[in-house]
Parts: sequence; C-alpha cells; structure tokens
Amino acid sequence: MLTITDLSVNYGPVHALAHVSIEVPRGEVTAVIGANGAGKSTLMRTLAGLVKPLTGEATLDGVKITGHKAEDIVRMGVALVPEGRSTIPELTVEENLRLGGMWRSRTDRAATVTEVFDMFPVLGERRSMGAATLSGGERQQLAIGRALMCDPQCLLLDEPSLGLAPLIVTQILQLVKRLATEQNLAVLLVEQNAVTALRVASQGVVLNLGQVVMAGPAQEIASHDELRHAYLGY
Amino acid sequence: MTNFIEYLLGGLGSGAIIALMALALVLTWRATRVVNFAQVGQAMFTTFIALSIQDLTGNWFLALAGAIVAGAALGVVVQYLVLRPVKRADTSGAIIATFGVLIALQAGAGMIWGGDQQAYPQPFNSAGISAFGREWPISVYDLVVIGVTLALVVGLSLVFTRTNLGLSMRATAFNPEVARLSGVRVSRTLTIGWAIAGIVGAVAGVLVAPISTLSPNSFDILLVFAFTAAVIGGLDSLVGAVALGVGTGLVISLVTGYSDSSNAPVVALVLLALNLLLKPDGVFGHTSSRSV
Repeated sequence: MLTITDLSVNYGPVHALAHVSIEVPRGEVTAVIGANGAGKSTLMRTLAGLVKPLTGEATLDGVKITGHKAEDIVRMGVALVPEGRSTIPELTVEENLRLGGMWRSRTDRAATVTEVFDMFPVLGERRSMGAATLSGGERQQLAIGRALMCDPQCLLLDEPSLGLAPLIVTQILQLVKRLATEQNLAVLLVEQNAVTALRVASQGVVLNLGQVVMAGPAQEIASHDELRHAYLGY
Repeated sequence: MTNFIEYLLGGLGSGAIIALMALALVLTWRATRVVNFAQVGQAMFTTFIALSIQDLTGNWFLALAGAIVAGAALGVVVQYLVLRPVKRADTSGAIIATFGVLIALQAGAGMIWGGDQQAYPQPFNSAGISAFGREWPISVYDLVVIGVTLALVVGLSLVFTRTNLGLSMRATAFNPEVARLSGVRVSRTLTIGWAIAGIVGAVAGVLVAPISTLSPNSFDILLVFAFTAAVIGGLDSLVGAVALGVGTGLVISLVTGYSDSSNAPVVALVLLALNLLLKPDGVFGHTSSRSV
C-alpha cells in the first residue's frame, strides 16, 4: 500500500499541494481527478522524487520514499509514467524498454521484456525500430512497458489519456486495471478525463487547488452531481 | 593527379588526430550540452604529464597509459569543480567557464613545465614508407595513429550501442528526466561521459605531440580544426565528428600542399562559416528532423 500523509508542496509563494493525504491500496486503481492546476502532476512528481515536499511523507508498505532521490525511489518499487511524450524518440523501442530497471539481473530483465512484448504485441513487432515511428497509443504502451521493466510495486500514471483517441484510452486503462489486479500493484492514476478514470478505479480522490475536496468509492464520486458541477465541469 | 593523391595520403594521420579531438568535443556536448573549449588544454596538460613519465621511464606506452589515467581524472575534475556549480546558472556561463579552465591549464602548465617548445619522442618510424619502388607520404607512425583512432571509434561505438552504460549515456543526453525515472544515475553518467572525453583528448594529445611540438599553447590550432569538424559534423554525431575530422585533415593537407600551411586555419574557418550559413544543424545533425 502506498500511503500519502499530510503532503504539502510550494512553488515559491504558491501552494501547489496543501496537506494531501491519500491511501492507495494494492490490487486496485485509485484515481485522482481534478481540473487543470489542481496539483495532480505535482503530486505525481513529488511521489517520484522530482519535487521536494515541504511537509508530510509518503510510504510504500511502511518504507518511507519521500526524501530519496528519483533514481532511488524507482529502485524502492515506485515507478512513474510521466505526462506526455515520455518515450525517447531517438532510441529504438527495445532500447526504450531496456532503459528501465538496469540494476536488475540480466535474466530478470529479459523475462520482463518478454512479458511486455506479450502484453503489447505491437512493441515486439517493432522492437528494433525507432520509437519515433510509433503512434501516440503505442508510445503510451511503451512508456508503461518501461515502468514495468523497473519491477514496480506501485505504478504512478500521469494523464495516460492525454492526446489519445477515446477507444485507445479505454484499452489502456483496462490494461492498467488488469495489471493492478494480476500483479497486485498499487496504481495511482491521475486524470483530467474523470469519467473514464472513475470507470476503472475503485477509489477516487478529487483534488482542487492543491487540496483534497472529496475521497471515496469511485462510483460514489461519479454519481455525485454537485461535485461534478463544481470541480469536474460536466 | 599524383600530387593530389600524395596530399590526401599525407593528411590522413593529422585527420585522425583532429577526428579524436572532435570526438572528445562531441562526447561532452552530448552529455551536458556544453562545448568544452578546455578540452585541448586538458590534452596539453596530460601530454606534459606523459612527457614527464616518458623522461622518467623511457617507455612510450607507459607514458600513454599515464596520459589516459590523467585524462580521465582531469575530465572529472573539470566537470566537478567548474561546470557543476556554473551549470545551475546556465550553459552559456559554463562555456565561458571552460575558457577560464583553458587559460588556467595553460598558465599552470607554463609554471610547471615552462613555456618553451619541447620535443616529444617519436616512438615509431616517421619516415615515408617505401613500397612498389617509391616512397609514399605516409609513415608507420601515421598508420599507428590511424589504427589507434579506428580502435577508439569502434570501441566507443560498441560501448554506446551494446552496453547498459552506453544506453544510459544516450538516454541521459536525450532526456535526463526520463533517464532518472528509469533508474539511471544521471549525474554519475554525465561524469563518466566527461572522463571518457578526457581519455579521448589525452590520447589525441600524445599522438599529435611527436609530429608537432609540445608547449602550453601548441594545441590551440588543433582546437580550431577540431571545433570546425565537430560543428560541421553536427555536434551530436560521433560518426560526423570522425568523418569531418578526417575530412578536415585532408582539406588542410591539400591547402598546405597547393598553397601554404598558414592558409589552413583560414580555410577551416571559411568552411565553418559556410556550414553555419547553409546547414546550421551540421551534415550529420538531426535536430531539425526530430519528430515531436
């Protein structure tokens, strides 16, 4: 379980996150939704170690991860798939994968490469082609594949639906849900696209201006009319 | 026509050395987006260290090994002490700082070893090879230089394409944040990049010293040629640096043969200016065609 307690982040005088506490259980998807500027990406970047928190901490199965460097946090089992184009177009598909989890043994990594190619056959077919040749959806698959190469216990996904066709979004989010169940991962999914995110999530958290305004079962949040109007804009 | 071929052959050895120095510039550029103008200063300094070892032991290979170790160490020192603090501000500050390091190294070498020209011993035969009834404008030493350059280029290519370290270095150059999130120790990788560049520069220094002379400023002209080759090659491309390095050597040899050696730097700068006007990304550069 990923436990976030009282996490605050400031960018200069701006409170990007204020005393955020969230629990992300294993085996299911927890969705964080909210409008632009709600602090969703800041939350993810802080958990991954790219941003230092002002107060609070995050622990994975009781081990504190905040305060460590990004390259150590990923070794502790928390892998972030960052927002947007997080593949490296100058490298081949397979090189993009092999970049993840270099500290692991050769055999373990080879096994994960096979797993990822089974999961995403397109990536296997194009393994020696440049990542620049992939479509948006395929690149997102590759980014998730690279995170899996790090043998994560907890997967952080920052807006995986950004710029993708609705059908592809559904496919990718269904896959994320399956990953959570099959590999018993704690998955934290950040989305602006609230409807789709709440469909695959068990728990939902609504973030507004850096604060948690509501947390509970995903269905409850999806059917909460006032909340939808006020914070999600539909 | 015979002259033309002779001039080309004669330019191969110096072309290989320019290629190595251009390679060193490209390696630091790829790692940290900084053109290290101190590179020739580092090479000059490590060649003086090599000369000291040579004077002590009389062994050319031991001196080369000493230069390699010193080159790696100096690369790390320059990156840590000078560029790390400056880099936080901006890269143009770091580039100015490399000029500062160059001046400091030249001054330091002058204080330790003096400002006079010193001869570096010639380990192999530098007379033209005689074969097929005539003497060719290429020596055994030129062949050694070309061989060492080829070995370094092939070795580096293998490191870059076949090893985890090489993949880390390439990923770090293209997207350091994604590299960190994948678990790559980015700052360590950058330091290794500077160390490798230091080694390549140090080898170039020891190879060029016997056919020029050694003084605190004697490699300055090498910087002009290597910088030209690296920029025209696209700054990002190892292949480009080597191809254009050898090409620059050939052009210089032709210019020297048909006119005068003092015209060579002017020709190099004209080529550089033409390249920046016509194809600013370099012949082997790919920044403009990068897909987004």
